[in-house]
Amino acid sequence: MEKPNYNTDIVRSFINWGIIWGLVSIMVGVIVSLQMVEPALNFPPYLTFGRLRPLHTNAGIYGWAVGTTFALFLYMVQRLCKTRLWSDKLARFQLWFFNATIITAAITLLLGYTTSKEYHELEWPVDIMVVILWVAFAINIIMTIIKRREEQMYISLWYMMASIVGVAILYIVDGAEVPVSLFKSYSAYAGTNDANVHWWFGHNAVAMVLTAPPLAMFYYVLPKSTGVPIYSHRMSIIAFWSLIFMYLWTGAHHLLWTPVPDWIQTLAMAFSVMLIAPSWGSVFNGYLSMRGQWHQMRENYLVKFLIIGITFYGLQTLQGPMQAIRSFSAFIHYTDWVPAHIHMGTMGWVSMIAFASIYYLVPRVYGRELYSVPLANLHFWLILIGQLIWTISLWIAGVLQAGMWTATNSDGSLAYSFMETMVEMYPYWWARVFGGIIFLFGVIVFIYNLVMTTRRGEVSPASERTAVEGRA
Amino acid sequence: MDWASILYLGVTFGLFIIFVLIVRYTYSRKNREQNEEAKYRMLDDD
Repeated sequence: MEKPNYNTDIVRSFINWGIIWGLVSIMVGVIVSLQMVEPALNFPPYLTFGRLRPLHTNAGIYGWAVGTTFALFLYMVQRLCKTRLWSDKLARFQLWFFNATIITAAITLLLGYTTSKEYHELEWPVDIMVVILWVAFAINIIMTIIKRREEQMYISLWYMMASIVGVAILYIVDGAEVPVSLFKSYSAYAGTNDANVHWWFGHNAVAMVLTAPPLAMFYYVLPKSTGVPIYSHRMSIIAFWSLIFMYLWTGAHHLLWTPVPDWIQTLAMAFSVMLIAPSWGSVFNGYLSMRGQWHQMRENYLVKFLIIGITFYGLQTLQGPMQAIRSFSAFIHYTDWVPAHIHMGTMGWVSMIAFASIYYLVPRVYGRELYSVPLANLHFWLILIGQLIWTISLWIAGVLQAGMWTATNSDGSLAYSFMETMVEMYPYWWARVFGGIIFLFGVIVFIYNLVMTTRRGEVSPASERTAVEGRA
Repeated sequence: MDWASILYLGVTFGLFIIFVLIVRYTYSRKNREQNEEAKYRMLDDD
């Protein structure tokens, strides 16, 4: 089969912008962690914790994770379908509209325009921008799949399609709102229905933005890096469909012990526990793919990122269901345990896989070998250590916090005031700042290595040809 | 049992049957080679 003329130019652009938004997210993350321990660092009205925190999460999820997803999907879909992208112009429009949307989101959040729904804070005009952006992306990917020259659809393509369809449904249903002015709207749902719809969105955004795309990347980059196929394609298909059938029922585990009907909570709890099976299906598939190849953990820096990343996915998908059980949720919900859980996922799983995928792509789309493997190894250890300090300190803080909140005197009164529990948190919050700074430093090393790769990396003959031919 | 409950039960049962059919199709001996082929094809030189 003749090698298609792939569009790599658009992939380069999305890599660059994804990294820029990732850096913004991490820097703002460090700032808000400092604001927790030094309240004087809040500068009202624009630079307070309340306004910066959604900027941190939105830049992280929609800028870094989605930006990287765009880069990887646009790269993978062409290779897996053995055809050039359906529309270069639509992809270019998507790039600029993506940045326009993220910038508008950042400005409106800092100005205080928010729906107040966690992870769906953007007001209705920005919501519409997100929908236009996603539709443009969806059309290009789906049309490329339709015109593919490869009969068999590799598992990454299934995860890509699930992500595209899933995000579209979730965002539109949860975003149903009644505008009352240019930047103010009210939800179309009321009371517990509103909460239930929102956390159906919230938890499945984790599925369709922070699980399906990294799995698509993992299943693509791991075999490409090791040079051996995944253990079982059939197992990956069953894990995929199990995940799709189960995930959409789990959102209400965010609403345990609330006025949401009891049976919905129980349903969410049961499906959350069942979700361990498909999640670990992918983890085992990853581990079994390494049979006879474990030496590559030592020799191949990409494999190190990927296997540690999938390990954190495994840990995350055990911890998540545990938290979804009523008795355990009663103890740790609303404590610092929960942000630690989220950050093991975002810093340990999603970002590890994203970093590995970008390391894999950059030499191929820029036509140059990686500038420094030792720097990539340094990056790995810095982000791993930073993440572990971050999460372990906050798990301890969460358990301590929960213990103090529930401790009672012999007469039944609370043993500690809320302020006393806050004061106890300070050492752990400082540890979080420290962990965040180490992680940030790791990301700066990563960016330096990539910049040097594009400027001074040795020219790679094979990838140079691809990169030059692929320019749009 | 009212119509809404019957509908819920029907949809649940229907989804379960679809899932069972997917598993059966994926793991049938007849389709084994076809369903594993993609993992080798993706390793082709890009």
